[in-house]
Amino acid sequence: MSAAVLVAVLVAGGVYLLLQRGLVRVTFGFVLLGHAANVLLLAAGGMSRREPPLLSTTDPAVAADPLPQAFALTAIVITFGVSVYLLAVAGNGGDDDAADAEADPSPARMTEQGVEL
Amino acid sequence: MNDLIPFLLWLPLLGAALTLAAGERVRLQRAISFTVSALVLAYGITMLTLTSDGSVVVEQVAGWPGGIAIPFAVDTLSALMITVAALLVLASTAFAVFTGDDEDRYFLPLVLVLSGGVYGAFVTADLFNLFVMIEVALIPSYVLITRRGSASEMGAGRIYLTVNLLVSTVLLAGVGLVYGTTGTVNLGELAGAATESVGAALAGGVVLVALGAKAALVPVHSWLPRTYPFASVATTALLSGLLTKIGVYGIFRVYAVMFSGDERLQTPWLVILLVTMVVGGLGALGESAMRPILVFGMSSQVGYVLLGIGFFGELGLQAGIFYLVHNIIAKGALFLTCGAVEHEEGTGELSRLGGVARREPLLALAFIAAALSLVGIPPFSGFVAKFSVARAAAIEGEWIAVALVVAVSLLTLLAMMKIWNGVFWGADPDEADHSFAPGASGAVPDHTDPMSSTLLRRAKVAITEGPPGGMPRGLILPGLALAVLSLVLGLGADVLLGLTGTAAQGLVDPSAYVIAVTDR
Amino acid sequence: MALAIALLVLASTAVLAHPLSNRLGRDAGYPLGALFLVSLGLIAFDAPTVLDGGAVEFERQWIPALDVAFRLHLDGLSLLFAILVLGVGALIMSYCARYLSVEYDHGRLYLLLGAFATAMLGLVLAADMVLLFVFFELTTLASFFLIGGQGLGSAKPATRAFVITATGGLSLLAAVALIVSVVGTTDLTEALERSEEIAASPQGPWIAGLLILAAFTKSAQLPFHFWLPDAMVALTPVSAYLHAATLVKAGIYVLLRFSPPFAGMPGWTIVLVSVGLATSLVGAVFALQQHDLKALLAYSTVSQLGWIVALIGVGTTAALAVAALHTFAHALFKATLFMLVGIIDREAGSRDIRELQGLYKVMPVTATLTALAALSMAGMPPFLGFVSKEEAYSAFLELPGPWGWVVAGIAVVSAAVTFAYSFRILHGAFGGGKAQASLYEPHWSFLLPAAVPAVAGLVFGLAVGSLNPLVSRTVQDTLMVETDADLALWHGFEPALYLSMVTIALGVTLFLLRAPVGRALDRPLLPFTGVQVYEASYAGVQRLGDLVGRSTRSGALAPHLVWPVLSVGALAVVGVLFVGELPVPVAPLTRTGDWLVVALVAVGVLGTVVTRNRLGAVSMLGVVGFLVAVWFLISGGVDLALTQTLVEVLTVVVAVLVLRRLPRRFAPAPRRRVVPAAALAVGAGLAAGLAVLALTGRREPSPASEVLLNQGEELTGGTNVVNTILVDFRGLDTFGEILVLAVAAIGLLALLRRDAPADASSPDATAPDAVADTAAGDRTILAVASRVLVPVIVVISVLLLWRGHNEPGGGFIAALVGGLGVALVQIPRGAGARSRLKAVPLLSAGITIAVLAGLLGLLRDSFLQPLKGDLVIGSFSQSFTTSLIFDIGVYLVVVGLVVAAVDRLANGRVVAAAEATQVPPSAADLASMEEPTGERAVVRR
Repeated sequence: MSAAVLVAVLVAGGVYLLLQRGLVRVTFGFVLLGHAANVLLLAAGGMSRREPPLLSTTDPAVAADPLPQAFALTAIVITFGVSVYLLAVAGNGGDDDAADAEADPSPARMTEQGVEL
Repeated sequence: MNDLIPFLLWLPLLGAALTLAAGERVRLQRAISFTVSALVLAYGITMLTLTSDGSVVVEQVAGWPGGIAIPFAVDTLSALMITVAALLVLASTAFAVFTGDDEDRYFLPLVLVLSGGVYGAFVTADLFNLFVMIEVALIPSYVLITRRGSASEMGAGRIYLTVNLLVSTVLLAGVGLVYGTTGTVNLGELAGAATESVGAALAGGVVLVALGAKAALVPVHSWLPRTYPFASVATTALLSGLLTKIGVYGIFRVYAVMFSGDERLQTPWLVILLVTMVVGGLGALGESAMRPILVFGMSSQVGYVLLGIGFFGELGLQAGIFYLVHNIIAKGALFLTCGAVEHEEGTGELSRLGGVARREPLLALAFIAAALSLVGIPPFSGFVAKFSVARAAAIEGEWIAVALVVAVSLLTLLAMMKIWNGVFWGADPDEADHSFAPGASGAVPDHTDPMSSTLLRRAKVAITEGPPGGMPRGLILPGLALAVLSLVLGLGADVLLGLTGTAAQGLVDPSAYVIAVTDR
Repeated sequence: MALAIALLVLASTAVLAHPLSNRLGRDAGYPLGALFLVSLGLIAFDAPTVLDGGAVEFERQWIPALDVAFRLHLDGLSLLFAILVLGVGALIMSYCARYLSVEYDHGRLYLLLGAFATAMLGLVLAADMVLLFVFFELTTLASFFLIGGQGLGSAKPATRAFVITATGGLSLLAAVALIVSVVGTTDLTEALERSEEIAASPQGPWIAGLLILAAFTKSAQLPFHFWLPDAMVALTPVSAYLHAATLVKAGIYVLLRFSPPFAGMPGWTIVLVSVGLATSLVGAVFALQQHDLKALLAYSTVSQLGWIVALIGVGTTAALAVAALHTFAHALFKATLFMLVGIIDREAGSRDIRELQGLYKVMPVTATLTALAALSMAGMPPFLGFVSKEEAYSAFLELPGPWGWVVAGIAVVSAAVTFAYSFRILHGAFGGGKAQASLYEPHWSFLLPAAVPAVAGLVFGLAVGSLNPLVSRTVQDTLMVETDADLALWHGFEPALYLSMVTIALGVTLFLLRAPVGRALDRPLLPFTGVQVYEASYAGVQRLGDLVGRSTRSGALAPHLVWPVLSVGALAVVGVLFVGELPVPVAPLTRTGDWLVVALVAVGVLGTVVTRNRLGAVSMLGVVGFLVAVWFLISGGVDLALTQTLVEVLTVVVAVLVLRRLPRRFAPAPRRRVVPAAALAVGAGLAAGLAVLALTGRREPSPASEVLLNQGEELTGGTNVVNTILVDFRGLDTFGEILVLAVAAIGLLALLRRDAPADASSPDATAPDAVADTAAGDRTILAVASRVLVPVIVVISVLLLWRGHNEPGGGFIAALVGGLGVALVQIPRGAGARSRLKAVPLLSAGITIAVLAGLLGLLRDSFLQPLKGDLVIGSFSQSFTTSLIFDIGVYLVVVGLVVAAVDRLANGRVVAAAEATQVPPSAADLASMEEPTGERAVVRR
């Protein structure tokens, strides 16, 4: 239950930021979504057994499912890598919706961009 | 052979590390890249021969017991995908050599990582590992699209990155939910899971939604035409052939194994796929530059490829997989030929091009062949693909599908003609304003008569422009090669149909795959 | 066998076209025409068998998988058309040899003509429906390029013709697919033998409709007729061959070929007869309207094709006999007329019928030949055209009830108009005084090809009986019934004869009244032309496409990002509806402590969402990150919590580095966006929460986890199960993961060129000075801190790396700590400074080491399989596995990323050179590759 609420909160915040102008806020939204996904992964292992899976100190019978932890760890690192690049793009011209074509969604405009190469 | 399977992953990545280290020495970079892709191609063909009897080669990576280890499995479907992917990587890399893309010291390493991730995604039988492999393939594509930092690239890059990152997050969540419901992410152990519990079906559904978005199925198609066309021409060719196809492959695999082609979902599938076909076909027609037209069309063709899912059966899947292979090749040829024009003329906008066919007959030939193949006109591979899809739909009694398969082909034809008339025929750009004589019915413009002065004047124009073939052959050959391959696959379709048939059997009855993967 | 050879011989003309033209120029037409005759001879070799009621067959495997084979056969119907294709073809080739001007791309034209003829012959010989479709489309394709020529003025007409006829081809494909779904084979002969099944099947009507569509588009029936006059932009020989004798007859052939299932079906008859007659009438009137001889002939062809279609619709043996006969007759006189128009055009320099006054005075032979053909077209006795018309009347009269007379009546009118325009041609050629004194008779070699069919029209008219065997054979093989045609010039006083008389009477009247009629017709008969309709509908489809594309045509993110969210939402709704009974959780999942974390996270998230201040948002985000780490900790994820914390720190560092360049505050969100965004956000949150609630925590521990926890240690020798999973069990994931990091680093290097300090870069100028000051302040503090901290950090990170296998730690955590050290060293140095550590070597070394560590596994069994051993140094002994080497690779990559990030985010920027995008990319690259560090090479081709 608690995990579900936590995920709900993180997703709600993340999606809201996702729909804002400006890549930086969108990126923050993704960070939140990333957290949500990792919490979800742990929940998928079951939140009833919560002892750290360190065999030297813990009885396997009460240890948390290590597999989702490994998944989450991998996911964290991947999200980190992508976020770094995303921020780099945001910080270098990709941030503001300057390229925002909402104002003028005419095909001409997009194809103008299309031929920019 | 089996313990060689991971070679699909580590060889390109080793290659990436070496090319990265090679740095300035671009010739060395090229040598490494081509060797790697050629080796992978050879391996793919070998695996095709090994699995053509329907057998499945599997490797429990790192030698752990089945269920714990990550299984890498190759059946006919995977082998086909690897072979075609490697082929396309070779063609696009060769093309990049002549466009100068690979003079960016980071280009070839990125391409190698991308290809490695794609191959990995085609062979892994572990859902979480599939997620990882997709990420490995995606992140180089992020860089490839944005790396030159032009405004249009940045504009496209933001969309591309965010949409794919979002979809990847959905995929990750889906995998998590699958583990949450079934306690495993091993595709073999997941066999039929979705048919047994609604929970597992929903979790798998999330995975399918994510894969569908990667494949640019409606309604998650809007990002595709706004991103791919803005990268360098070589990059577009590469991405179009590889990345969306991971989604397609994933849908084939997951739906076949985890859902066993559940009948209850067939109607929703048909609706989504047919709508995708129509929307893609119309959207392509609405664009006014070469690559946007081609890219929008991709959605449409993904609809054709997956249509077999809608009436899950051997015929439909065989047709679909054949269509997939055909599409990767024909589409690649189109991107490379149009790319060659765009690279030489500096624009892809139809209104600013014209008369290329008179200056570059060979290139025009390659384009029209690929274009007709895409439409489904014989004797190219496209006609076998279209016919077998239509045939399957007809035999399954899906009349609407048959009708749309034909109708959308007409849309594709119009789109291809739009490019042909805008770029390859018509007046040369400088005189684009008075290009077409109004072909009023009955009225006969006399300049079509061989004596016509108009024609002679045009001829002089052509001569003053210098002899045809001013374009470096290297820009033409990659596209031409793929176009020829499409012709070969049309005339000699039987071999490929045999293979896709085996692949389809493997999807309809995945027991062999499951046994191999679970290693029980 | 002879069939296949005939086809090959014909195909050889396409192959030889260029070599011959290079040597002989336009005269290449003669040898090529000879090859046509050879092919005809080979067919004729089999003709007796066919006429005796046999059929010649040939079969080779092609695509067994679809049971498609290269099946050919020759029966009466095929024979008739084969004779037309090859006979007329030979004439046209030799005609080209004189018609074409000397300086012309002869090779191309001959190649296309040869290819077309091959496709056409294949079409009529095909005994496999797919093969038939293939050749059907190939004829379309060849004619596309024949009409399009150089692709200038003729491009649009060619495209229109192509699109229309290709549509027909596609519907033929659909028809074939449907037939296959009924009879289960693509074998044409077998399919036709099972006609009743096809007719009876639910697909039956659809098949008929699709076949009719295919035929009507190809044979220019209403409303598709317009492409044919449109296609007159083609060279005259091309028009003579394609648009009179062969291509347009392909539709006729398809209708005849597929008659067995449908002949006599009311729908079939009604559609064919009504459309056919309408086309015949409209075409004739349009023809009468034209002054351009070529356009006149084009509409005349449309009209005549309609006539034939109507006959096929009647479907009786007699009717089909006439259809066959008229196909033959029409090919003869229409090909002649086209060729003559070409000659007149070339000699007189005009095709306007009004300028041909008294042609016979200067070109008697030409004029006479024109007369022969025109009379046959007009249906005057004793020409073949007369016979076929007369027979047609009797056929029409066979229709049941009053319909016979109605149809015959309309036919008479159409024929009368035909008579009228035929005589306009005659009058043009013979009437009036000498207008073109300077003209002279062309060389006989130019006239001969036209003369042959013209004379044949007369000869066959007189000796029409000689055609009986062929025609009756055709009918028998078409309808698969026994019948005998009795064609004759004189049938005695029958209704048909009276109708002929009426026709001629009407025709003469029309001709005599040509002045008023001409005035009456000298205006557009319809408010629109077919071409206009086509272009309008094409524009319509275009607009629709633009509309479909518009939804995607936005550079903003939200319009693209909502769709994945909505799709998942839709799935969630489905889930709520169908999920039903769920298993109960096996054990309590929630603990009171959880709620504290949840509440704090909620606050943090809210803060992140509402704040307009960038740095504020970053810090709130950091808080949330740490809280999530706490959550991991209380969920038993020690390594996870550690990693999360470190990643959080680095993310914040990176974010701050980036934000230095951006305005301090976010652009305020437009009002209209807030509400929908919030709504969607709440919905998504709800969906995600429900998913977690419903789909997690409701099962026993997974078998995999049991194995890992209980056998993990003996399998790997490591006690920290999570890390053993990362480096041992699922090393492959980790492998992929470090690649993601490596590529992210490469991305930074590729995107952000380090050719100028960031502070000089434009975006920074916009940043408030305050930030710069505080940044400077931070630097000094950090500088001090780093001197103390860095050595410590390095030691810690190495320890973490070493012990990772057993206690919390491992490659990532160690490297992230090390990365922090790098950050501490770098950032204080400020802009311009570069690290002693280089990213690229770190990255490539890291990946290489990881791969090699994996390859060591191949020594045992498998890639990435760890090898255990004991490392003994003096008294110190430590168990050791190759996964440690793997971890070192991981370590290097992560450090490489941090180095790249700190370096480029602080000091690099996008080189806008790529903005000059109109120049070819290679050039743009060269420009953007100028780097003082010489980090990149410039290689020129």
